[in-house]
Amino acid sequence: MPPRGKGGTQETRAPKGSPSIRPTLPREFIALHKQRRIMDALAELTAEQGYEATKISDIVKRAGVARKTLYDNFEGKEEVFLAAFDAARDEILRRVREGSADPDADWQERIEGGLAAFLGFIAEQPTLARMCMIEALSATPETSRRYEEAYETLVELTRRGLPQDERLPGTIAETLVGGVAWIVYQQIRRGEAERAEDLLPELTEFMVAPYVGAGMA
Amino acid sequence: MESLPRGRHGLTREYIAQHQRERILIAIAELLHDHGYDRTTVAAIAGGAGVSKSDFYAHFASKDECFGAAYDAAFERVELTILSACAAESRWPDCVCAGIGALLTALADTPAQASLLLVEGLRAGPDVYGRYQAAIERFVPCLRDGAPRGRDGRRPPQATDEAVVGGIASLLGRRVLAGDAPRLTRFFPEVAEFALTPYLGVAEARRIISAR
Repeated sequence: MPPRGKGGTQETRAPKGSPSIRPTLPREFIALHKQRRIMDALAELTAEQGYEATKISDIVKRAGVARKTLYDNFEGKEEVFLAAFDAARDEILRRVREGSADPDADWQERIEGGLAAFLGFIAEQPTLARMCMIEALSATPETSRRYEEAYETLVELTRRGLPQDERLPGTIAETLVGGVAWIVYQQIRRGEAERAEDLLPELTEFMVAPYVGAGMA
Repeated sequence: MESLPRGRHGLTREYIAQHQRERILIAIAELLHDHGYDRTTVAAIAGGAGVSKSDFYAHFASKDECFGAAYDAAFERVELTILSACAAESRWPDCVCAGIGALLTALADTPAQASLLLVEGLRAGPDVYGRYQAAIERFVPCLRDGAPRGRDGRRPPQATDEAVVGGIASLLGRRVLAGDAPRLTRFFPEVAEFALTPYLGVAEARRIISAR
């Protein structure tokens, strides 16, 4: 690999063709920042007008980058969507794992903690929430496949969080996650994602109450 | 078939039109199930229904309109089956069980329509989503209105009714997506338990289900 920049310095010149106004920022930093802006622009546009209607030209305009920059970083619209989806999914799963990890809590508190973390993300990031929970379902076959995969991970986390009782139906975690997803999905559709945390008491009761006092808690 | 002159077979124009419409609605559900939305063209739907493209357009302005009508027809059929099963029962828990049994049987008998109702409902965009939501909302009162008060005399929060119905729809949708539509009836005990437990508690729910 040829040495980058002059005289072996770690700093690199701005890419050819762009004004070299910030010569001290490493190229990787600028590239990451631009990728982030492109992903955010796609998430916003998708939330506003849907995936189908969102054009590459809209994305680069919103992100304030050149068309070429988008194609230098991504193969196309779908890859931008998938990158944005993966980043949001990782963050959601990280928070849910963290929220439900308290070793001193009982299973109900851990379920509540995971749920609170999930609803917290929805409320904080309504645009990403919409992209992940609504648009991903129908954007492309691959986005829909990743949605199902992420959903399955949440089902698995829930399964491990519920009391380990063989009398519980094998599908219980899946149905509980489905019920929560449906309520949250509607909340986002109504444009009320910011208030998702209001749902915490009712959804906790939905997930936990049936099994309390039935010899399972 | 569509060009048969009225006089020779004695069928009224309305009868033929209605019959064509039904064939088109069945054809689109099957094509969607087998090939997905994008590859389900108007030409393919017309071909599957044995009508011409111009007959298709006499009934529907577009593929989307046809899609919506097929969704409505499939839901109407399932709803009718469920309501008649419920009507044969007098107690609330039996009514819920009978309704769930009828739902699972109806879906298992027609996997293409199961897929239309449960898989496409959430995945085919805003118009169809509105129908999916309305369909789920139709069953929420069935659950809520007859449900007894809990052990401590109070009702579960309202989100529970919706989450129960939405959770069941989601479970069944994912099973249909995995190709398990013909085997849905095997989920009866789990689905019924899930529906009754928030209202009756696990023990009572199980007693009722195993007695059926």
